[in-house]
Amino acid sequence: MAETSIATGGKTAEGALPFGYAPRPGTFDEMTAADGQVRTTWRPLLDAFGAGGLGEHGERFARAERYLRDAGIHHRDYGGSSAARPWPLSSFPVLLAESEWIAIADGLAERADLLEAVMADLYGKNRLVADGILPPLAVAGNPEWLRPLVGIAPRGGHFLHFLAFDLGRDRDGQWRILADRTQAPSAAGFALENRVATTRAVAGLFDRNAVHRLAPFFARFRDALQAGLADGDERVAVLTQGRQNPTYFEQAYLARYLGFTLLEGEDLTVIDGELMVRTIAGPRPVAVLWRRLAGTMADPLELDEGSMTGTPGLVEAVRAGSVTLVNALGSGILETGILAAHYPAIARHLLGRALSLPAARTMWGSGAEAPSSGSCLVGPAFGTLPPFEKNSGYRRGAWAEVADRPDRVAVDDLPLSRAPVLMQGELVARPLTIRAFAARTAEGWTVMPGGFARLADRDEDGALAFRDGGRSADLWIIGSKPVPAVSLLSDRTRQPILRQGGNLPGRAADNLFWLGRYIERAEGALRILRAYHARLAESGRADLPLLGSVTAYLAELDIDTAEAVPKMLVANIDSAVYSAGNIRDRFSPDGWMALTDLQKTVHRFRETVAAGDDAAHAMTILLRKLAGFAGLVHENMYRFMGWRFLTIGRHLERGLHMTLLLAHFTRPDAPEGSDDLILDIGDNVMTHRRHYSVDTSTASVIDLMGLDPYNPRSVLFQLGEITRSVVQLPDSAENRLKLRRDIAALEQDLAGCEPGSLDWRRFKRLEQELETFSDALALAYLT
Amino acid sequence: MLYDLALDIGSDYAHPVATGRHVLRVMPLVLPGRQNVERAALSIDPQPESRRDFTTFFGGEASGFVIRHPHQRLEARLRARVEVTAPAWQTGRTLAKAALPAALEAIASVAPDSPHHFTGPSPRLPPAGDAIRSYARESEGAGPEIHDIAFSLMRRIHRDFRYDGKATTVDTTAEEAFRLKRGVCQDFTHVMIAALRVLGIPAGYVSGYLRTLPPPGKPRLVGADAMHAWVRVWCGPQAGFIEYDPTNDMLAGEDHIVAGFGRDYADIAPLAGTLKGLGGQSGFQRVDISVV
Repeated sequence: MAETSIATGGKTAEGALPFGYAPRPGTFDEMTAADGQVRTTWRPLLDAFGAGGLGEHGERFARAERYLRDAGIHHRDYGGSSAARPWPLSSFPVLLAESEWIAIADGLAERADLLEAVMADLYGKNRLVADGILPPLAVAGNPEWLRPLVGIAPRGGHFLHFLAFDLGRDRDGQWRILADRTQAPSAAGFALENRVATTRAVAGLFDRNAVHRLAPFFARFRDALQAGLADGDERVAVLTQGRQNPTYFEQAYLARYLGFTLLEGEDLTVIDGELMVRTIAGPRPVAVLWRRLAGTMADPLELDEGSMTGTPGLVEAVRAGSVTLVNALGSGILETGILAAHYPAIARHLLGRALSLPAARTMWGSGAEAPSSGSCLVGPAFGTLPPFEKNSGYRRGAWAEVADRPDRVAVDDLPLSRAPVLMQGELVARPLTIRAFAARTAEGWTVMPGGFARLADRDEDGALAFRDGGRSADLWIIGSKPVPAVSLLSDRTRQPILRQGGNLPGRAADNLFWLGRYIERAEGALRILRAYHARLAESGRADLPLLGSVTAYLAELDIDTAEAVPKMLVANIDSAVYSAGNIRDRFSPDGWMALTDLQKTVHRFRETVAAGDDAAHAMTILLRKLAGFAGLVHENMYRFMGWRFLTIGRHLERGLHMTLLLAHFTRPDAPEGSDDLILDIGDNVMTHRRHYSVDTSTASVIDLMGLDPYNPRSVLFQLGEITRSVVQLPDSAENRLKLRRDIAALEQDLAGCEPGSLDWRRFKRLEQELETFSDALALAYLT
Repeated sequence: MLYDLALDIGSDYAHPVATGRHVLRVMPLVLPGRQNVERAALSIDPQPESRRDFTTFFGGEASGFVIRHPHQRLEARLRARVEVTAPAWQTGRTLAKAALPAALEAIASVAPDSPHHFTGPSPRLPPAGDAIRSYARESEGAGPEIHDIAFSLMRRIHRDFRYDGKATTVDTTAEEAFRLKRGVCQDFTHVMIAALRVLGIPAGYVSGYLRTLPPPGKPRLVGADAMHAWVRVWCGPQAGFIEYDPTNDMLAGEDHIVAGFGRDYADIAPLAGTLKGLGGQSGFQRVDISVV
């Protein structure tokens, strides 16, 4: 942490700024006024940091970082690949006075109403074109204008429900709209997360009573969406493109925070005009769909025919009026540059006046009068990304470049204000944009009192400074008096709490089932590999008959004992992480951390660990980490449908593992030491000694590891657990009832056996029966 | 002329398909003064679990349906009686190409019949490459009027391209068909639309049917065994749209039955679908049109 040369810290000496902060001359600075003094809005925060400079507070900011890392949203980390969170957090907030924010919020609500009116016109009567306000090309030539949606009135009467706006200051310090995000705006979840992290950084230091809370905004939005539900069976869902989307974790985070189901296109189907989610209890209606997916991709049947992520029939459901889309399909057109160029004229035409909150000037067409001054950015007229986003297609240019190019627009490149950002322990001034969020409620638009602030890495005027990335910060709206604290969790909702068994989408159940199987498969491999390497270390010889037998056994499972940490073991753990990654919204951050830690460790061990004692030790460490994950899941996971599929997966795999071991190592020709090996793998050496006065025999091993209903590693125990879980699954269809009967029959059959009457051939057959059961389960619930 | 139209269209699947969701766009249009549909019946086998008919943006009648039990063959059958009057194309009143920009600017509409839908790129027709661009330019001097240019392009495509049902598929791009100089009506139509748009002339796709058996003494028309496609060109506010059939080197006439309009094939594909199943499929179409 760098020591700042100005030791006075927050309580500045005459004329000096805190923490060495140096505003850039000639630009509007959020923290300091033109006379060099700290603005009154910021004064209490700076005073709170005291006289010691930021250096004393390094631990606070580290705490915020740690929160993000632990929450799991800091990194996208699936299947071993990891990418940094877009816009890592600067834990130092950006502050705005409530009075200034109220003006912005009023302006945004007014703009949101205008956008709704434009949307209604574009998908309705097209008066704006007929009246000559919009050129026909802006609509007919716009790839975001989705013809199949034209003429369809949205369910509930509104097209737009959740909007975001990017804002920046011009040279005079006036806030201006940089972009309207009308299709599937992201970052509200990041704003929420930044708030939690930043709060940790200043906890106990600063009285946050005057900072407006975010939770009431989300509560109102949630209530508004739920108000659209007709009865208890309908639900609100968030539609995600899945994990390949860069903001997938944010979507999962928001879905979990708001209590909505997170779905992918293939979870949904349309039955007779009604949008349904496929759950383990059959199709259930989805009445409100918050989509985080481009409209063109939403339905391969009637929209982009190449879409792999959409739901065939979604347009039919919209046409039938059975679902509210947040926002309506086709709202991407409002984001295109050519529309932005016409909003001022549309406002004058529809409202008879200019909007109260101005936007950055956008020019299109030959008739456009080029501003006399100011630099501009030239980009695609039908593009939807704002200039400061990567791949938006904007570059520095001249206003005249759009004159004969209807496919281009030119946008005023605002210099933007500067705000403090925490970099390597110092506060430095960097260009600022903020993303604000507006949600429709029954009483009209409500604007989040806060937002997602972005600070460029480079200190230069204009939007292009953001192209190389930057940081995000929490936006605090500072009230003139304390604001009441409301948390989403403590807030009383109008909706009755529903406990329904069938809510679990089939895809989620499938991933939980396989997570259970992969985790247990990894554990089985770890246990047998540990036993192998311990014996190898003891004897120093790989050619012992018992070790040869283990090698042959593992080869059947594609595990190569020549590798100290076999590739297949790593693959099993990677698969577990992959399955868990598909259902991130159902996991606690702790469970996810434990799992990814296990994954990192096994990858490291694969590079470093040698056969023998070293490997035996490594397996012990991995087993401990795996037990840590299993324990977290066991202690924390809500015991409902999801849990049952996870449980069935685990016990099925454990049952298969022990069945295979018994089938292989209780054969008459099994080498010496096989019985003890089974006990060792099953962690039952001590139990065996207590239960059986005789020496280890094949019969006693079969009794303890196969037939003992109280031994949590025995085959019979697994069958009992599976039976108990299966009877609690929804059971409408005949094939599901058969599933119950089949597993119960297997359990009873095994329970009735005498240890002496069983041999390896029975276990061989049992393996087949368990695999058949697994297939039948998948067919009945998971497809 | 009064026709009885019979269409069988569908797919055979290599393995049973569990669920299929489709949109069918085959119903003949009612076009006052040109085409009247006296009766039409559509049946689908196997029986769909649900079927919903709707009107597409460009005015065609479409049916969306779902089949939700295993099946290895899907077949839709259309039986219709259609009366067609030869359109009186106003080829003598088409606009001078030079006057086109101003004429387009004067049309403040994005209604389905507005030419503005047909000037720019569309789902199956991204901006044309150099080969089609220079091919199009060669017809630019064919005459001052839009009709002269469109007619010239139709002639040249008919002359330069070989009709070949094996050379292309429904997914072949205009660029690829142009390179091959082969294809079927869909390819001829896409190439001609792409070339017209290069020149700034609004052009769209017509899907429909062609009389199977020619009148006595006339040659049999090409492409009558399956659904047909041709080009519609906006020739100015007076002439409106005129339809050109590059496959047969003729203007659409009494033998052409219209099923629907679009910007390209994607807007008006006769049978579009998504399936849940394994393995391949092969589509089939049979068209039979007899004079009543």
